This record gives sequence, structure tokens and C-alpha cells, in this order.
Amino acid sequence: MSNVLIVAPDRCIDCKKCELACSLHHAGSLDPDRGRIKVLNRGVEKGMPVVCLHCDEAACLIVCPVGAISRCDETDAVVLDETRCVRCKACLAACPFGNITEDRVDGRVLKCDLCEGAPMCAVFCPSGALVTRSGPRPLRSAP
Amino acid sequence: MSTLVKIKIDEKEYEVPRGRYLLAICQENGIPIPTLCHHESVEPWGGCRLCVVEFRKKRWDSWWTELATACLYPAEDGLCVWTRSEKVMKARRTILDLLLARCPGSEVITKIAAEHGVYQTSFAKREGEDNCILCGLCTRVCDRVGARAIATALRGALKEVSTPFGEPPPDCLGCLSCAHVCPTHTIGHTEADGKRTVWGRTFELVRCSGCGAASVTREQVEYAVRTKNLSPEYFVKCDACKRRESAATFAGLLFDERKGGEGPVGPTGSGPSHE
Ligand code: FES
Repeated sequence: MSNVLIVAPDRCIDCKKCELACSLHHAGSLDPDRGRIKVLNRGVEKGMPVVCLHCDEAACLIVCPVGAISRCDETDAVVLDETRCVRCKACLAACPFGNITEDRVDGRVLKCDLCEGAPMCAVFCPSGALVTRSGPRPLRSAP
Repeated sequence: MSTLVKIKIDEKEYEVPRGRYLLAICQENGIPIPTLCHHESVEPWGGCRLCVVEFRKKRWDSWWTELATACLYPAEDGLCVWTRSEKVMKARRTILDLLLARCPGSEVITKIAAEHGVYQTSFAKREGEDNCILCGLCTRVCDRVGARAIATALRGALKEVSTPFGEPPPDCLGCLSCAHVCPTHTIGHTEADGKRTVWGRTFELVRCSGCGAASVTREQVEYAVRTKNLSPEYFVKCDACKRRESAATFAGLLFDERKGGEGPVGPTGSGPSHE
């Protein structure tokens, strides 16, 4: 299982294939707005992918009033259980990096879940800016 | 909890953890059960009765079949369950007939009733403009969220979901969780000009200090800061502005000293579709 997503912004060519792959995988449509990863531009053909960091002390996990956000045992990712979500959007407001968004089509809360250990964005990244590796999360503070 | 027991659903055998609710087992195995008052964020309640199933078990020395709500019935060894038997369908039709009399205007109820062959109620229709079925899901979710702003009031035919004394609820956070989970979408709310109104109370939305976008109420932020010990700084900007800021920070850390800056980090193109 590849559960660590490595972002190398110096390789990003701003093609936004990751956004498309993400929205296709999760929402079933090729709509970058519905992706859970975003690429911001920093010059011609230079991008900066921003995606959930799966923080050790995740603000979204702490703020969720109904316990819909938890840490996945297998992948170590911070995941949202949509069947529990009550769409109060507290997580969206609390994420200090702005990595949780709202689906403007159906109002769902969009949060990266590392595709259960096989991130689609990395599969489709043509330039090696997004790659995966398996193993424990780096910089994980001791429990 | 983790001991496995054998049960039968619709003549098929399953091995499931003892005590697991029948509804959860059915959902995991793709067996359709209609529900209205069920939501994963709260404990099952058995308010709407629509999820009834028939089961057979041994009582004393003979076998009995009974009806029970699947959302509340725990699995036990040797249980035989039928989810679409004649008895079940008849009970569900009666429930839908009654629900249709209670809220004839509800699209959700009308649709589920039609799927069960109930096209018109045989009871007198209730007069009233709301579509509340009194399942209590909104009040349970509100309790779970921690606000406890609404509850059911009065008894019998007068029973209703209400705020304390029917006044704008002082404890409400304006998070709209109640409106989202309501199975008949009957909790009215509006949002305009940075203000949100629900249950007769108007809330001010927290505007992003960068672009003015708003998604949560001031009460929600205060509640999160107070009870979860989060920094109020987190809530100053909207997700798009925070994303831009964190991208700029990372770009600064990665590229600035090395290549002398790469220009501003911002959205590609123009228009609202990219942020
Ligand atoms: S879902 Fe079981 S009673 Fe409503």
C-alpha cells in the first residue's frame, strides 16, 4: 500500500491532471472544482499543488462535532466519513491550510482520503511532482 | 461484541458480529431497507418505523415471528430475518399511508410511498404547511453537535419540534446540521448578505478577511474556539485564501533563497472556476 503522498512542487508543470483525476475518482466527473487537490500557479508552466497534509493534530478532526473525521488505521490518513457528516462546515473553516472545500454541485464536503492507499493524483501526474511511497508517515510525532 | 454469530437474511446465511444492528448488516450486504430517521452520526432511535423487518426466533418452546425495526435490532445467533415478506410490506404500507396523511406535501414521502404502491392516503390529511414527521432526527443531531437548541414539545396530536418557548433559540449555533439531516427537508433556512436565518434567529456569518467569502456563523467559530481549544486565527480567512497563503509559504520556503523568487503564487487564469 502506498500511503505517503510526496509533493515535489519543483517538478509541477501546472497541468492540473491531478485535479481531474481526483474529481473523476471521487465525484465521477471531470470537474477540477470538485477535486480535493488544487494546483496554484507560480509562473509559466510552474504549479504548486496543495493537498491535505493529514496533520498529526488535525484541526478538522478536532473540530468535527459528530466525529465524522477520524484517522484511518491502515493508511494513517485523516478521513471523512460522509455518511456521518452533517455538513456544518466547521472542518472547512478550521483547516489552517484551506485544504477542505465544498462541492458546489451537491454541497458535499471534499477532503483528501489518499484514495484508501492508492492516490489517483499520483497515478496521473505526468511529471513526477506527485509520487507515492509506502511506510509510516514521515515526521510522525511519537504517540 | 466481536463474537461472530450466524444469522439468515432473506434465506441467505451471514456471519456477523453479535449485537450488530440488522440495518447496518443489511446496508453492508446491499440489502435495501427504507429508512427516514436513521443517520450514522447519532445512535439509532426507531422513530419512523419504516425500516421494519420480520424475524423468527425461539420463545419458550415454540417459534414466533415478529416485526421489529432493523435499525434498532441487534443480531443474535440463529436469527432468521425477512426484509420483504408480505407482513413487512403490509406494515410499511400502513406506515407510509399514515406518513402521507401527516405530510401530503412531502416529495420524499410521496416518492417512497409510491415505490411501495401507496399513491394516496386513506386517512384524513393533516393541515399545516410543514412536512415534519416527528422522527426527532434534527433534535438528536443537535444534541450530538452539542448545541441542544431544539427539542420536541407537547404531547399527542400537538407534539412538534420546537425551540424553547417557540422563541429564537439562544443556544443555536446556526450550523444547519438539523436542516441537512431532516429526511423531509422541512427545516427552512435562508442565507443572504452574510446573514443566515434558521429557527427564527438570524446569524452573522464570519467573512473572510481577504475576500469576504463566508461559510460558518460567528457562533460556530466561538463554539469551536471555546470547546475544542483551536486558535481563532484558523477561522479568519476562507479556504481559498488560506490555500493561496499556504502555497505561497511553501513556495517561499522551497524556492525563494535558491532562485531568487518565482513571482507571485496565485490562481491560474481568471474567473471563479479556479481559485
Ligand atoms: S430508520 Fe429505523 S425506525 Fe426510522
